[in-house]
Amino acid sequence: MSETLTDDIVLCRASDVPEGGALKVELDGRAPLAVFRVGGHFFVTDDTCTHGDASLSEGELDAEDMVVECPWHSGAFELATGKPCGAPCTIPLKVHRFELRGGDIVLVA
Amino acid sequence: MARITLDTGDTFDCADHDTLLRAGLRAGLGLPYECNAGGCGTCKVEVTSGEVENLWPDAPGLSDRDRRKGRVLACQCRARGDCTVKVRLDPACVPLISPVRCKAVLDGSDDITHDIRSFRFRAEGPARFLPGQYVMLSLSDGLERAYSLANLPNEAGVFEVMVRRVPGGRMTTRLFEGAVDEVTLDGPFGLAHLRPGERDVVCLAGGSGLAPMVSIARAVAAEGSPRRVIFFHGGRTGADVLDVACLDALTGLGPRLTYVPVVSGEMVRGLAHGMVHEAAQAWLEGTMDRFDYYCAGPPPMMQALETMLVREGGLPADRVRFDRFF
Repeated sequence: MSETLTDDIVLCRASDVPEGGALKVELDGRAPLAVFRVGGHFFVTDDTCTHGDASLSEGELDAEDMVVECPWHSGAFELATGKPCGAPCTIPLKVHRFELRGGDIVLVA
Repeated sequence: MARITLDTGDTFDCADHDTLLRAGLRAGLGLPYECNAGGCGTCKVEVTSGEVENLWPDAPGLSDRDRRKGRVLACQCRARGDCTVKVRLDPACVPLISPVRCKAVLDGSDDITHDIRSFRFRAEGPARFLPGQYVMLSLSDGLERAYSLANLPNEAGVFEVMVRRVPGGRMTTRLFEGAVDEVTLDGPFGLAHLRPGERDVVCLAGGSGLAPMVSIARAVAAEGSPRRVIFFHGGRTGADVLDVACLDALTGLGPRLTYVPVVSGEMVRGLAHGMVHEAAQAWLEGTMDRFDYYCAGPPPMMQALETMLVREGGLPADRVRFDRFF
């Protein structure tokens, strides 16, 4: 598999992520990630909110603004940039580079 | 009096003058919050039935998206009748000391720096709070501000706050001009209070964030432990920070105190220069994991510290305590 040839990591099948939803991906030795699918676009970010210990993959997606809202305090982040756009979040969310390869979402190192 | 029902099934009474947040906290429920003043956005809720009076519809803690979705800040809403409210409770926000309202009279004041003054108010009953917590102080016309307490809980009923004179500030002008004799205090509130621990403590104060850090340092001094306190205090000029003798006298820590004053304006011989987080980073180099952290200051300072200690430093969030004020 490609994992043995490169440092790239397969996160999931694209089809595992429901439209308008998210999938939490836990990998050994790193913070959990969230894969989002909104309006046919995919985004990969850290899964844990930068404000509190909440899972953003359980949050509400706003397709119009391309924003995820934390399920805890309704703080919000732009999916494309990780920029905080709703209090109480003030620290940017890490966004991760990825590629769609043969139906897989692959994290690019 | 209104009856509030949460979607969790919990219920509580909300007096006419009270906000949803404070009434819920008084009832012992862990309604999420930090600032209690409309700024932080932590206390967002959805009112699913019934009507509320929104005291500050434009509060910065709400985004346009929040407004579109019908969210309100529990700290800025009074119930107009029975309501049902959707909220996710946070066990960490269950008050250890139930907040209560009390009248208090001015009992004395002292200058701490050229623009920070300590005001002591005396209430009838005992002053119950945890070091690091704050009270809402209001005047007879309803003007209200949050102030952290600088002293220790006491049976004499004394609440000490430290106020920085803000030019044109409505509350500070009246306090500094001696126009305030009687106030109403509501509290305590806040989660950034001192916890017991083995590690030495780092206090990081900016501006009038001095008050809660002094309270925490005083509490460490008063406890039987050998914990030391490394106390950073940032200001623009040398006149904005204290000298070590003054801080030692305030806290009573003696040899357990290390004081690092930091100035961000013109360099002052013998003082660290830069922002508080920069001075702290240099001082802590390689030893960050040895301490527990308490922080109080303006939002950019809090954000820089959270980034440095939690995001980049990897410390668990429960070892870095602060309440966000805006």
